[in-house]
Amino acid sequence: MNTNSNTYTVIYTTLVCVLVAAILAFVSQSLKPKQEANEKAETISQILTAAGFADKAKWQEIGNAKTIEYYKDNIEASFTINGEGEKVDYLDKESATVFSTSELKVQNRDVKKGEEVTLPVYVFSNGVTVFPIYGAGLWGPVWGYISFDESLEKIVGAYFDHESETPGLGGKIKDDPSFRASLAGKSVDFDDVKPFHIVKGGAPEGKANAIDAITGATMTSKGLGEAVNVWLEAYKPYFEASKCKCCPSESEKEPCCEEAPATQTNE
Amino acid sequence: MNSKLKETILNPILKGNPITVLVLGICSSLAVTVEMKGALVMALSVTIVTGLSSLICSLLRKTIPNRVRIIIQLVVVALMVILVDQLLKSFEGTYPIDKQLSVYIGLIITNCIVMGRIEAFALGNKPIPSLLDGLANGVGYGLILLVVAFVRELFGSGTLFGLPVLSALGYVNNGLVILPPMALIILGCIIWIQRSIQKDLQEK
Repeated sequence: MNTNSNTYTVIYTTLVCVLVAAILAFVSQSLKPKQEANEKAETISQILTAAGFADKAKWQEIGNAKTIEYYKDNIEASFTINGEGEKVDYLDKESATVFSTSELKVQNRDVKKGEEVTLPVYVFSNGVTVFPIYGAGLWGPVWGYISFDESLEKIVGAYFDHESETPGLGGKIKDDPSFRASLAGKSVDFDDVKPFHIVKGGAPEGKANAIDAITGATMTSKGLGEAVNVWLEAYKPYFEASKCKCCPSESEKEPCCEEAPATQTNE
Repeated sequence: MNSKLKETILNPILKGNPITVLVLGICSSLAVTVEMKGALVMALSVTIVTGLSSLICSLLRKTIPNRVRIIIQLVVVALMVILVDQLLKSFEGTYPIDKQLSVYIGLIITNCIVMGRIEAFALGNKPIPSLLDGLANGVGYGLILLVVAFVRELFGSGTLFGLPVLSALGYVNNGLVILPPMALIILGCIIWIQRSIQKDLQEK
């Protein structure tokens, strides 16, 4: 048989491609549930790390099932809010539903365009509230979680992750615990030019809403700062609504603070 | 075992080592050798990929149209790499390592060792020797990876496989060892040692 004829070549390559595509489609479909379970546990462990329950390594140690169990035991309320800071829906507690990174990506598009958004809020029983952030780093997306204390005034902790930032430089947003730790105790100021600053060359002494950028990772720091600010702005109505000191957990099914001036304008 | 088969297996590990002698696969050997765990998973992945894709290409060798052989090889290699990546993502134990190795698992496709062995060996040999040749090259690559990772993790983080070794003795971590240039320096030292032992590798 002449393996060099055109007909043979075309048929051969077509067959190989179809066969390989079929194998890959089958494998991808059959492994999907397992991969999604892993991703979900990873997201939950990042939220728990940001909330300050334990270091990231610990969740890996105790495994997926126990991490999700821990989350269920400690979550007070997880719900979604709209652009006006009003509660839209509750996330299922039993199945420990959280927004995956790809869902954050979808919301990020709407957040940037100023379109109608559905943003998740995680409130833990010790009063810590966790908000996600999502944006573009230097080489790929960066995302993370920032947690605030009960009154939403002080940052408790944070966790950041990235897809492909340079290891040792931009990768430090994830790998350098001291960068994450530098957010703790800081606050957010919505009256400032930007709610939160990541300053190249070092944050000014005594500025409560600024931290040092990472040396050698200007673009990643910039991208992360942008992500933090865009998302904090999107959560701004929620921050303002909660200023009336009514905890979301006290009025489970009712919208928070109906008399507050911040939400009255939206009627 | 006949001597030719023995040569097929031993040559890539010692005299014809893909990293230290052929200087292939340098990129990933700098990138994934910060920790033993990552290096081990990478070594196993590359071994499986080179072994199986050599086997498949060898089985197909008489049917592959000569004009599109590189593309067909690439499809086979890519298939293997994606399968390995998908499997790593599916298990709880390997998921964090896959996340840490991130793009480097996918980049096995471009690892010159894989395509090089298919072109140079698998297309002209029977399936079983091709499989062994692929596996042996993966092992040769993996061994160097593990040696480099051993030095880098021990002196960079004071640990081995994440367990404290030097750090338990109060060792202060050396940041330079963590950075990629140190991998190149260690690699250079390994090549130096190998060349001073195997004199026939030295150029006149």
